[in-house]
Amino acid sequence: MTGALLDGTAQAIAAAVRTGTASAREIAQLALNRIKARNGVLGAFTDVTAMRALARADAIDAARMSGTKLGPLAGAPFAVKNLFDVVGLPTRAGSKINRDRSPARADATLVARMEAAGGVLVGSLNMGEFAYDFTGENAHDGPSRNPHDFEHMTGGSSGGSAAAVAGGLVPIALGSDTNGSIRVPSSFCGLFGLKPTYGRLSRAGVFPFVASLDHVGPLARSVDDLALSYDAVLGRDDRDPVQADVAAAPASPTLNDGVAGLRIARLGGYFARYAELSAISAVDTVAHALNAERVVELAGADVARSAAYLITMVEGAALHLERLRTRAGDFDPDVRDRLIAGAMLPGVWMTQAQKFRRRFRAETLALFRDVDILLAPATPCRAPRLGQRTFVLDGREMLVRPNLGLFTQPLSFIGLPVVAAPVWTDGEKLPIGVQIIAAPWREDLALRVAWALERAGVVRAPVARLS
Amino acid sequence: MTGDPFDPEALVNVTVPLLGLTVTAESRAQTVVHLRIAADHAHKLLSVTLDDEEEPAPVFTP
Repeated sequence: MTGALLDGTAQAIAAAVRTGTASAREIAQLALNRIKARNGVLGAFTDVTAMRALARADAIDAARMSGTKLGPLAGAPFAVKNLFDVVGLPTRAGSKINRDRSPARADATLVARMEAAGGVLVGSLNMGEFAYDFTGENAHDGPSRNPHDFEHMTGGSSGGSAAAVAGGLVPIALGSDTNGSIRVPSSFCGLFGLKPTYGRLSRAGVFPFVASLDHVGPLARSVDDLALSYDAVLGRDDRDPVQADVAAAPASPTLNDGVAGLRIARLGGYFARYAELSAISAVDTVAHALNAERVVELAGADVARSAAYLITMVEGAALHLERLRTRAGDFDPDVRDRLIAGAMLPGVWMTQAQKFRRRFRAETLALFRDVDILLAPATPCRAPRLGQRTFVLDGREMLVRPNLGLFTQPLSFIGLPVVAAPVWTDGEKLPIGVQIIAAPWREDLALRVAWALERAGVVRAPVARLS
Repeated sequence: MTGDPFDPEALVNVTVPLLGLTVTAESRAQTVVHLRIAADHAHKLLSVTLDDEEEPAPVFTP
């Protein structure tokens, strides 16, 4: 019975633990057994916190026995990308270099909040080095592998997060998204992923990459779990200086409010030009289900992507300059050489990018006066093969690693909230995601639309059948 | 300089010592590749006319 529970939702696990149908310890042990059995092939976990998990589970079971009301995630296992601080572990951020750091002395805010809601942390997850990655291939820990086809990428940089959830090791994982690092792996591994509004969730205790673009958020196999985990980690945190002082209502209570009355359009132009047929078909499917016939242009999306690309290079290089000076040989070469190039870019490019950013934000917000939700592909294609270096989009050969996020970058550039939702096509082994995009601070609307699509069977996130 | 208005090799020559970096031959070749990609993005970005009065977004709030 508990095995089936682990293939289901965190919501169902919590209900079973609250009613005593299953114990938190049983669930935690099952998750630890799954990790032991499957992690060798999936490459999802880099650290397993077994003792902590069992102690936490025992505390939840004891609380239930004493009549204490349990949280919404009671007994639900979760794991975090290894750029989140976890007490006792060095915060690797996917690197060899950070393994020399002292172990974290406090948990990241979001880790603490997940546990306060009843979640049971079972470990830390593989990721692209320093989050500068869209593939899920880590030069030091090996690649995370797509649970739906081991020969294909998970996407990155939250690749371990996606492998752990799609592989049935945990129902929820936390990741980070600077340019698409939640949405790209959600697309490739067939998951729901939420990149909230910039400044919504605390990044305290999260190793940075590009401060002006960094977001954190959950990946899950159901929209209910996505909303539950989002609700669990909401709230002010003075430890994150960029967190906005904007009231945050929980999203779970409004998930079933329906989509009637919402003005939904799909993005054309740039978002169609670089998309393979599979990506366009996925948006067609979702748009048709939502009766969204209108197509709108996000003017300047290609320039926005370029500006985000340059800001990422420059801010990332500034963050890592000292490490580039002293430990260049310990970087993944693919990451190192992009960072070195970033350190050399002219300042005028950066200023132009930041000026354009304000204009693009204003023009996009104007678009949201006429629409509530925009739809776009999450990735230009399904998951490439591991090791694939190039692909052809719009008739041009491009590097895979920097270009898998070309549909996600223009949106995180101005901090819009996005839910990635997976679409499956009969006969295909791999899914592809659609971005459900809302105006700033309207995560609730994007989640509502995703929930309605899931209920209608248009999008879904099954556990992979591992062979 | 060649006829190319953007010369990444020259940029690498100047900035490696300025930044205090040590770059291997292999790393240098890839750095040049990434500089060329960045220059393509910058070309697109710089083709947009922005007014002098337009403010940058150094501290960004959606």
